[in-house]
Amino acid sequence: MKIGHNFFFHHCCKKDSLYKILRRISHAMEVQHFQIQLYLAIRFGLIFLVMSSNAMPTTNEEHTCRGEKYITNTYFKKHDSLIDSQFEEFIKHIISLGLCQVLQDKPQFVPILLAVHRNLIGEGSHRQLSSSIRIKMQGESASKLPAQSCQVIMVERLPSGVFADPFQLQHLVQRGVFSDAAVLGDTNLELPSFRSNRSVVELHMDMGSNTSSGCKDELEVNLGLPLHARYAPLGHGFSKVEFGQPDLFMRCSFEGKAINGSCLFMPINDGVNYTASRVVWEVPCGIEEHAGIVSAVTFLSAIVSALLIVSTSIYHSGNMNLK
Amino acid sequence: MLGGIVGGFDVEMAKIIVQSLLIFSAILRVFLIFYGQWLDSHLEVRYTDVDYLVFSDAAALMATGKSPYERSTYRYSPLIAFLLMPNSFLHQLWGKFLFSAADLLVGLFIHTILKLRGVPENLCTYSTMAWLFNPFTFTIGTRGNCEPIICAMILWIIICLMNDQMLQASFWYGLVVHLRIYPIIYALPIIFILDPLHFQPGKKTVILYWSSEKSMSSWGSRTSKTTDLRYGWSTLTSMFTWRRLMFGIISGSIFFIVTGLCFYLYGWDFLHEALLYHLTRVDPRHNFSIYFYHIYLHYDHDFSSVEKLISFLPQFIVQLVLIFLFARDLPFCFFLQTLAFVAFNKVVTAQYFVWFFCLLPLILPWSNIELKWKGLACIFLWIGAQIHWLMWGYLLEFQGKNVFIQLWIASLLFLAVNTYVLINIILNHVYCPVFKQLNHTNSNKTMKHD
Repeated sequence: MKIGHNFFFHHCCKKDSLYKILRRISHAMEVQHFQIQLYLAIRFGLIFLVMSSNAMPTTNEEHTCRGEKYITNTYFKKHDSLIDSQFEEFIKHIISLGLCQVLQDKPQFVPILLAVHRNLIGEGSHRQLSSSIRIKMQGESASKLPAQSCQVIMVERLPSGVFADPFQLQHLVQRGVFSDAAVLGDTNLELPSFRSNRSVVELHMDMGSNTSSGCKDELEVNLGLPLHARYAPLGHGFSKVEFGQPDLFMRCSFEGKAINGSCLFMPINDGVNYTASRVVWEVPCGIEEHAGIVSAVTFLSAIVSALLIVSTSIYHSGNMNLK
Repeated sequence: MLGGIVGGFDVEMAKIIVQSLLIFSAILRVFLIFYGQWLDSHLEVRYTDVDYLVFSDAAALMATGKSPYERSTYRYSPLIAFLLMPNSFLHQLWGKFLFSAADLLVGLFIHTILKLRGVPENLCTYSTMAWLFNPFTFTIGTRGNCEPIICAMILWIIICLMNDQMLQASFWYGLVVHLRIYPIIYALPIIFILDPLHFQPGKKTVILYWSSEKSMSSWGSRTSKTTDLRYGWSTLTSMFTWRRLMFGIISGSIFFIVTGLCFYLYGWDFLHEALLYHLTRVDPRHNFSIYFYHIYLHYDHDFSSVEKLISFLPQFIVQLVLIFLFARDLPFCFFLQTLAFVAFNKVVTAQYFVWFFCLLPLILPWSNIELKWKGLACIFLWIGAQIHWLMWGYLLEFQGKNVFIQLWIASLLFLAVNTYVLINIILNHVYCPVFKQLNHTNSNKTMKHD
C-alpha cells in the first residue's frame, strides 16, 4: 500500500514537467552576481509527511498533488532566481506555503541531527561533495517506524562557481545512488561563473537502502553529489568557491496510521551539532595580466601561420605550372 | 617485393581483398561497440561519447512527440534525433551501429573515388586502410559520434560530381550543410569545378587518371599558361552557367526547405541551438583552439568588431587562397580547406579532426611524402603536439593546476604543427585536376586570346 501511495504521489506530480520549469526559469533569469553568503543562519528542518495508506486512492492523489515532489520547486514557482535571504524565508515558512501541516498535538517521533560532515573528494574541475549525515531517531513510535519508509532530503544551494549536471544526476538515480534528484535554477552547463546564476540541487535518499545504522535509533546517510566547476572570474591564480550548509528534511510514510494529509515540521537547533568545517573549492582562474600578451601573440601567430600557408601555396602552384 | 605482389593483382583478387578489409573492419567495430558497452558498466569514465547520450535523450523525446531541444545541449539538426529514434524502442546501441555503418561506407566511398581516378588497386587498398584502421576514426563511430554520417555524405557528393550527377550532388550538399554547417566552405570549389570546360553538353566528362610518374610535369608543360588564362577567362565570362546556377538553386532550396521544415516543427529552439549556436559559438573553456584563452580573458566584455575581423581574416584568407589555387584538384582542395578551417577555428575539439581524416586517404596516392621519415615525422609531430596539449589539459581539468598559459602555448604549438603538416602536404603533392579539360569548342577562342 505504501508503494501504491508513493506511485500516485510521484506520478501525478510529473505533470509539471521538470524540463519545462527549468527552461522557463533559465530563460527568465538575467545575469546577476551573487555574493556567497556564508555565515547566515541556516536552518535544519525535518519534515514528516505522515501519509495514510488506508485512504482511498482518489483522496490520496488529491492530497499529494497539492504538494510538490521537490520542495525547491515551490520556491522557484515564486522566485526567478536563488537569493539566500529569500530562500531562508521560504524554508522558514514552508509550513504556511502548504507544503505540509504541523501536527503539534501528535508528535510521532523526533529526529535529531547529530552531525553533518562534509568534504570535497577529488581534484580538478570535477569533484564530489560528500555529506555524511548522522541522525538520531527519538520518540514513542521511533522504534516501530521502519527505516525504509523514510526519506532524507538534502537541499544544497550551490555557489555560482559550480554546477550539477541534471543528466548526470538522472543517470545516478537510474543506477539507484539516489532515489530522486533535481537541479533547479540556472542549469546552463556551459557559462562561466560570472555569466551564470546559482542553482539548487535537491537530493532524495531512501533511508533503507543507502544508510547504515551503527547503534539503535541512529542512522547515517552518505550523499555524494558530483559537481563541476565553472570557469572562474579572472584573478590571480585561484578563485575560492565556498559552500554553505545544506537544508535537511525528512519525509516519512507510516503504515497503518490514518493521519490524512498531515506532516510534521521539526526545526532543529542549528550550529550546535555541527562538526563540519567550511568547504572550499579552489578553481584555477585566468590571470588578468596575461590579457594583453595573450591577445597579441594569438593574433600574431594566426596571421603568421596564415601567411606561411598562403605563400607556400602560391609558390607551389607557381612551381607546378612552370615545370 | 611489394611491387611483385602488387603486380599480380587482378580484379577478382582486388574485390576479395576489399571485401575482407570491410568485413574485418566491421568485426572490429562490432567488437568495439560491445567492449565499450562493457567498459561503460564497469568504469567510471565512459567510453560512450557524452553527445551520444544527448542524441539518445533527444531521440527519446522525439519518439514521444516532444521537441528534441527539450534536452539541453542538443545542438544538432532534428534529423539526427530522428535517425536515432530506434534507440528508444529498438535498442540503445542502434545509433552506434548506424554511425559505424556510415564509417564503413566512408571506407567504401574512398575506394570508389580512388578507383574512379584510376589509382592502382594496391594504392587504393592502402589508402582505404588509412581510414578503416585509423584509431582516431574507428573510435569516433563506435563511441557514438555522428560525424561519420557527415563524412559519408561529403564523399558521396564528390562521387556524384565525378559521375556528372549534378542533381544528386546538389541535393546531398544542401542537406549536409543543413546538418553540419561547416561544409559551406566547399561551396566555392564545387562551383569552380562545375566549369564549362569540364562539362559540355553532349560530351562525357573525362576524369584524369592517376599517373605513376609521380610528377605531372607533362600536364604542367602542356597546359600551363594557356590553361590558366583560358580558365580565368572562362571563369569570368561564364561564371553563371546553367550548371552552376542549378547547383546553387537546388542545394540552396534543399537547405532552406529542410531548415524551414525544422523551424516550422521546432521553432526558435531549433534555430538557436542547431544553427545560430554554431555560427556564433565562442567558447571560453579550454579547447585546442589558439583563441580559447584570449576569449576567456575578454569574456566579460563584448568583442569589438575589429577583434572579430582580425580573428576571422586569417581563416578567411587561407580559405580563399586554397580555393583559387587548388579547386580543380577537388579532394586535395577539400582536404586543405578542412585542415586549415579546423586549425584556425575559434573552437576546436577532437571530433572535428574526423572531417579531414576522411579526406586524407583521397590525396595519399598523389603525395610524394615518403613514409620514412618525413611522413612518420609529420604523423608523430601532429600526435605529439596533441598529447602535449592533452597533458596540460589534464593538469588543468583533473588536477586543478593553474596552467592556462601553458595550455595556451600548447595550442599555439598545435597550430604551428598543423601549419607545418599542411605546408609539407602542399609541397609534396602532385597536383592533378579531377577532370580533363575539353578543348574543342573553345579552342579557337583560346588561340585568339593567346
